[in-house]
Amino acid sequence: MGTLNELFDPDRVAVVGATAREGAVGRAVTSNLLDDFDGVTVPVNPNYDEVLGTPCVGEVADADADVAVIVVPPAIVLDAIEACGAAGIRNVVVITAGFGETGGDGAARERRLAEIADEYDLNLVGPNSLGIMSTPSGMNATFGPENALPGGLSFMSQSGAFVTAVLDWANDNGIGFKDVVSLGNKAVLDETDFVDHWGDDEETDVIIGYLEGIEDGREFIDTARETSQDTPIVAVKSGRTSAGAQAASSHTGTLAGSDKAYEAGLDQAGVIRAESVDELFDAAGILGSQPLPDTDSVAIVTNAGGPGVMATDAVGDADLDMASFTSETSDALRDSMPAEANIHNPVDVIGDADVERFREALEITVADDNVGAALVLAAPTATISFDDLADAISEVSEEMDAPVAACLMGGDRTREPTQQLQAKGIPCYFDPARGIESLATLAQYRDIKEREYEAPMSFDVDRERAREILETVRDRDDNRLGVEAMELLDTYGIPTPAGEIVDSPERAAAVAADIDGDVVMKIVSPDILHKSDIGGVAVGVGDDDVADTYEDLITRARNYQPDATVLGVQVQEMVDLDNGVETIVGMNRDPQFGPLLMFGLGGIFVEVMEDTTFRVAPVSEPEARTMTEEIQSAPLLRGARGRDPVDVDAVVETIGRLSQLVTDFPAILELDINPLVALPDDDGGTNAAAVDVRLTVDPEELEA
Amino acid sequence: MTEPTTTLVTATGEHTGKTAITVALARLAADRDRSVGYMKPKGTRLQSNVGKTLDQDPMLAREVLGLDAEMHQMEPIVYSPTFVEGAIRGTEDAGALRDRIREEFDELAADRDQMFVEGGGRWTTGGVIDLTDVDVAEALDARVVLVAEYGSPNDLDEVLAAADDFGDRLAGVVFNKVSDDAFKSLDQDGIPFLESKGITVLGAIPHEKDLAGVTVGELADELGAELLTDAPTDAFVERFLVGAMGGDEALRYFRRARDAAVITGGDRADVQTAALDASGVACLVLTGGHRPSGAVLGKAADAGKPVLAVNTDTVTAIDRAEGIVRGGRTRDARTVDRMAELLEANVDIDALI
Repeated sequence: MGTLNELFDPDRVAVVGATAREGAVGRAVTSNLLDDFDGVTVPVNPNYDEVLGTPCVGEVADADADVAVIVVPPAIVLDAIEACGAAGIRNVVVITAGFGETGGDGAARERRLAEIADEYDLNLVGPNSLGIMSTPSGMNATFGPENALPGGLSFMSQSGAFVTAVLDWANDNGIGFKDVVSLGNKAVLDETDFVDHWGDDEETDVIIGYLEGIEDGREFIDTARETSQDTPIVAVKSGRTSAGAQAASSHTGTLAGSDKAYEAGLDQAGVIRAESVDELFDAAGILGSQPLPDTDSVAIVTNAGGPGVMATDAVGDADLDMASFTSETSDALRDSMPAEANIHNPVDVIGDADVERFREALEITVADDNVGAALVLAAPTATISFDDLADAISEVSEEMDAPVAACLMGGDRTREPTQQLQAKGIPCYFDPARGIESLATLAQYRDIKEREYEAPMSFDVDRERAREILETVRDRDDNRLGVEAMELLDTYGIPTPAGEIVDSPERAAAVAADIDGDVVMKIVSPDILHKSDIGGVAVGVGDDDVADTYEDLITRARNYQPDATVLGVQVQEMVDLDNGVETIVGMNRDPQFGPLLMFGLGGIFVEVMEDTTFRVAPVSEPEARTMTEEIQSAPLLRGARGRDPVDVDAVVETIGRLSQLVTDFPAILELDINPLVALPDDDGGTNAAAVDVRLTVDPEELEA
Repeated sequence: MTEPTTTLVTATGEHTGKTAITVALARLAADRDRSVGYMKPKGTRLQSNVGKTLDQDPMLAREVLGLDAEMHQMEPIVYSPTFVEGAIRGTEDAGALRDRIREEFDELAADRDQMFVEGGGRWTTGGVIDLTDVDVAEALDARVVLVAEYGSPNDLDEVLAAADDFGDRLAGVVFNKVSDDAFKSLDQDGIPFLESKGITVLGAIPHEKDLAGVTVGELADELGAELLTDAPTDAFVERFLVGAMGGDEALRYFRRARDAAVITGGDRADVQTAALDASGVACLVLTGGHRPSGAVLGKAADAGKPVLAVNTDTVTAIDRAEGIVRGGRTRDARTVDRMAELLEANVDIDALI
């Protein structure tokens, strides 16, 4: 698509469908532009000679514009867009609604719009968009009631209404923006395009977004990773809860997707996720104005003991630490503070403190190398004026490298000092927890900035044979495959125990005889999901009992589910579960992010325990390794209660191979290996065994 | 005047495809320039519980074969629950019934080369009036074709029992709706076994999606549903999935299926979008009279999937819908044509015609 510079910084903007008619969107857009835009606004409407005192042209081709804003009714909107393309205008903002969000006809119109945009290579925002803004030139190409104040935040939103609400609030609170985009239906330009553009935009300090869905998760991750190395990205992604997901589907037709996929995807993308509007702007505010902390240690300076404890709790909640002061700092504090003051963290300068005592305590504290960030927390007393305190905090902050947040707990008296602090880029809250959370956001972004991304794991595999096995799903009644497709794992080098699927007791006995030791026998049927529940699994079967056990399993399957298709019985080498750890490795294809890998504690209780972690594939080696360290039962892998540690490398490699398999074959919608038994490291042996597999394959995708 | 050859087509159970096979055989015979007639002595596929009702099978035969017989001739006994109640109370005379069947048959058979008689629901149906298909075959001096399904060797018990009862009258067995999985077992083990018992197997017809499911359009008609989209309605539906769980689980569930229709409340936008995303879902059926949001309809249009709306609640809609698929496609000429093709390809027709 190329850069979007011209979209945000045009010389001439045409408004197609401009009008002076009261209450019309065309009027609002035209007047917004005429009021504030530095460049030239050209109304386009064959029905008028002039609009709002400005000469009007009949066709967009006569406007000689760089950007066209389209507000004509749905019946003629496609023609209008085509006219822009034909006139050589490459940037188009379609405000008109009545597309995919309204039903079948609208969806057809939207498809046609995308075709036209493709034909003329248009940078098209919307349709069904509130419009766009860019403050350096004063361009307000929206029909909202207010323009934005200038600032360093670039904001994209999938909801136009949210944009107007935010602007209203932001203007009241002195918060400014660089660019604002109402994404609309995202028929052409989507969130990834803007993340890409703003990543290269020097004047954008922080990117913020409200999203209900992401069009192409993998592209978004790759693009956001690059951008977030220099520019923080904070997003609210709604549809988080199942009720919310319903609402999102109803609003935009978005399949909200699993929240776990979003958590994993946004984290991997280096995007900071805000759960609410307050969090979004708290984060954006501090990221735009404060330096990043060198360490995760926080110092709290307060005149109120109780609130000091609350703030300390918040530090614990936020995964930060309370800084330990050096002896120099402690000495300096002891010397300058009264005897009753508490000189350990949180530093309590006590209730009779005046501004000078506060200032001194603050200066000494932040000079300590151990202190990464500071929170100044004050309750109203007779001895202190919040205005003066605000001044003091601003002055000290200017001299230091560490970030500072302030908490002035009070009512009216905090209003002016708060604004004053915010004007100096120091966030100020009532609630100490919010103050600490915003400092934590800085630490989070520091970690994101320091990340180094590695290439995904990749191995030598037999893609052709894998495809053949996946194709067997076409012979099925539905899209599922089970252990009968276990060879699929072999094609990608995922270790499996020796075994075979047989359809007679004699063959079963023969296979068992070839396997050392006792065997495990399982009924093979894609229709029977929980084999152990129906007695469909026999463990520790000696060679002599194999034939009889075969009969037992078949009979039980018939009794339990007479309609089930039984493909046979699997006779498999027994894996040492006593010394191994049962894990589960799986994948579910998220409609937005693509293949979501899962790793966790396995076995038959996996659905109850839910001790699992997720990443969007393809994953690099460090990502896979971190998955094995993140689950709560990770200590089991390292050996607990006298057991040997298992070969974690083998597990990491299996995750990597699975990652490659699901990336190579988009037709695989779901795949579970449960259990993948992780075994102690036995040099030379295979130290992991995929004992069972279940997958869902979309035969239509396989053709691709 | 020569006696026509009479073939009675009976079955081991309901919904085995007996009707389609009977009418298709008759049509194949007609194609070979024989004059054919059709009769279904015991009407069993009834539209209502009592009295003179419409068993669609004779009507279909009349249409396809161009017959001008009267319904009461083709279907002299209406084997309704009310009739059976009466029979066990003694209001019916088995002998008189048998005579009636014989009379109607003779009239229909006049000037025909071949008569094709369709049995009741199962070969044992009619026992209370001594008119099982065994009795009917005897009365009409018919040779018998037994239609059976085959899922596993266990199904052969029924076939053996029927063969035993029909004895020498049994011309052979036709297996129908045999799934790919079962075919091997039937071919390698089932058929040789039966032949070793002296039972002729005339052929085995594979399971056919065309005949097994209904199209979305037919489903809409049968359900009395309103179509909310312009998408094509010729996709097949063989099973129904109920969408009552959360969107994420719903997606997982729907993805595993094929040729499925998803039934859910009109207000469940998350389930609807999940259904539209799954490639194996052929259409969406919305219940409760709610209208879905414009965004969902837009998505349906993009996916090319039809959306049907019914006013009933989900449970009722499911029952009806399953009944439609289970009962097989509404019999029509198309079904008969397809069955005729399958018979020619898989069954020894010459032995029968």
